[in-house]
Amino acid sequence: MTAVTNRNAYASDELQAIYDQTVDFVAHEVVPHGDLWEVEGRVPRDVLKRMGDLGMFSLRVPVEHGGLGLGMLASATFAEALGTSTFGGFEATVLVHTDMALPHLLNSGTPEQLGRWLPSILAGDTVLSIGVTEPDAGSDVAGLRTRAVRDGDGWRIDGRKTFITNAVYGDLVILAARTDPDDRYGISMFLIPTDTEGFSVASKLDKHGWRCSDTAELALDDVWLPDDALLGTVHRGFHETMRNFQNERMVLIGMGVGASQVALDLTTAYCADRKAFGGRLADLGAIRQRLAMRQAEVDAVRASMYHAAWLGDQGLDNVREMSGVKALGAEVVNRVMYDCLQFHGGMGYMRESTIERMHRDARILPIGGGATEVMLEEVAKRSF
Amino acid sequence: MRILVCVKRVPAPGARINVTADGQAVDAAHLGFTTSPHEECALEEAVQITERLGGEVTVMTLGPAAAEEQLRYAASVGAHRFVLVPITEVDWDPQRTAAALADAIGDLEAADGPFDLVLFGNESADAGGFQVGVRVAHALGRPIVNGIKGIDVGGDPEAQSSETGDVPEGQVAARREIDGGFEVYRVPMPAVLGVKEGINLPRYPTMKGRLASKKAEVAVDERTAEAGGQGRVRLHRPEEQVSETVILGTGPEAAPAVVDLLEELGVFQ
Ligand SMILES: Cc1cc2nc3c(=O)[nH]c(=O)nc-3n(C[C@H](O)[C@H](O)[C@H](O)COP(=O)(O)OP(=O)(O)OC[C@H]3O[C@@H](n4cnc5c(N)ncnc54)[C@H](O)[C@@H]3O)c2cc1C
Repeated sequence: MTAVTNRNAYASDELQAIYDQTVDFVAHEVVPHGDLWEVEGRVPRDVLKRMGDLGMFSLRVPVEHGGLGLGMLASATFAEALGTSTFGGFEATVLVHTDMALPHLLNSGTPEQLGRWLPSILAGDTVLSIGVTEPDAGSDVAGLRTRAVRDGDGWRIDGRKTFITNAVYGDLVILAARTDPDDRYGISMFLIPTDTEGFSVASKLDKHGWRCSDTAELALDDVWLPDDALLGTVHRGFHETMRNFQNERMVLIGMGVGASQVALDLTTAYCADRKAFGGRLADLGAIRQRLAMRQAEVDAVRASMYHAAWLGDQGLDNVREMSGVKALGAEVVNRVMYDCLQFHGGMGYMRESTIERMHRDARILPIGGGATEVMLEEVAKRSF
Repeated sequence: MRILVCVKRVPAPGARINVTADGQAVDAAHLGFTTSPHEECALEEAVQITERLGGEVTVMTLGPAAAEEQLRYAASVGAHRFVLVPITEVDWDPQRTAAALADAIGDLEAADGPFDLVLFGNESADAGGFQVGVRVAHALGRPIVNGIKGIDVGGDPEAQSSETGDVPEGQVAARREIDGGFEVYRVPMPAVLGVKEGINLPRYPTMKGRLASKKAEVAVDERTAEAGGQGRVRLHRPEEQVSETVILGTGPEAAPAVVDLLEELGVFQ
């Protein structure tokens, strides 16, 4: 019997179809070209356009808006399948668009805003980013300083954002700004087209991994936006943003699980082939046992991720479960990559090896989208 | 238009093929499977023709139960009806395969009318016998042209190419590539064509198509047929070619060696 590594208790035919479709796409359209994108520091727009044409951005979009109307399990499946690309930067580019930025518009957008933006977002013509982090406010989201003040029948925004994925080459930023200076949580969300006057990319950031994902530092100098750029309820942006945190955490782990499985498969194949000490690396107890433990850990993370997704789809609170799996999963993915690189020996340290890149790409997972320590606090708060 | 496309489940190209210990079959344990590339193009062509002219694409495969996967893939890219002719052996010889397919096609046609076109891949990607399409055409008493890289159906305004001219209704013009040009064949429909990869670029399924394909109804049509005269002696895997990298030198010192090599290869004449 052939092993089906991505199976999980919730994998319906429908979810399996999403998985297969995405893995196929990635194998044909990403894997052969990713190395070049890493050098160029971006994912070509025509690839995103193609994904849009194939309906790959529409999983979470309600049927009445031309989507498939699916839930968190679909996003988890999509993320895990994207993870097989081995190019974390590509996966981040896509998932920021579909699962970290777009849900804000879907959750809070007016019919006019949805009508104006959704078609081009789904087609891959408008690429989204989510602008929350600032030089002085990362984990502490409520500490952000970018200000939006009422000005005529619109808003005037000043501030800085940093580490914003997709914002160098993207088209529309969903941006958090403080609208109530007297309330720590008095934040609102805005839709800002990147060609708005006063909006600029202060720098394209140079990163340790995710090299084909573009990451921007943004400057907002006297940016004026009309009233219809306000997304959701004024001053309620913090709470509205939090609504999507579980999904964001989940897809980061989803891509990590997909990547980990590829890394383990690559490494077991390598160790089964590599001759040493009159046998194969795979015959050495230290290696087989370690890889076996990492496999067991990945299986456990995969199972708990899908479980937390299922809780979310049932409308149940899953903050403890999802924060926990984000904390555990990100650490597991890094352990996997560390060991897989180790067992590739010197080859694993070479820039040309896939595992070398995967090792670098994994490092962001315990930091981005909620650092491990912050995630564990979420669990602890619900334990004590 | 009613079009039937016959497809075969084959090991994914590029996979490392191992032969079973008895030398009789490909070891399928760790293989991925796919639709033969010529047939994927035949399917795409059929879907495009019915998108323009209306009608229905039926896809048939003779293969193991797992070949249902290839039928579902066909559903995901726009085919309408699906028939699996199941076999329990690894593969059937071409005569036996063709006899079973011709029978199954005959019954489908008796129920719903003839297929205007029956498309095969030029040859299967694994066995490469070049026989099944020809044998089926013969059994059905229809013309067949193989090696086809262009299909213009009479009455399809978009498909009239300068090579084929105006194709009358009820006929199909089939183009075959030859050295430096085309051969064009006109045959009356119903007809059988053996299609070659490169005729088009097969589409990817859309997400919606993939989801819908999981619900497509697959008819299972059990057939028996006499084994033909062809028997397999043994499969053999050739030794792997080992390629070698020779470093000619680094920096400017490498230049004379490169020049020598280019001379040896006859680049300077
Ligand atoms: C490649 C990349 C892409 C990114 N993309 C985006 C994006 O698209 N949009 C966006 O808005 N942001 C993005 N970010 C920002 C990311 O979400 C933040 O880096 C993350 O939230 C951590 O914030 P920080 O970097 O300011 O670290 P800090 O908040 O300064 O924290 C530093 C470290 O301190 C520890 N720590 C923090 N808080 C606590 C606590 N409460 N208890 C214990 N320990 C703690 C953690 O170990 C943490 O890693 C991206 C970052 C990177 C690197």
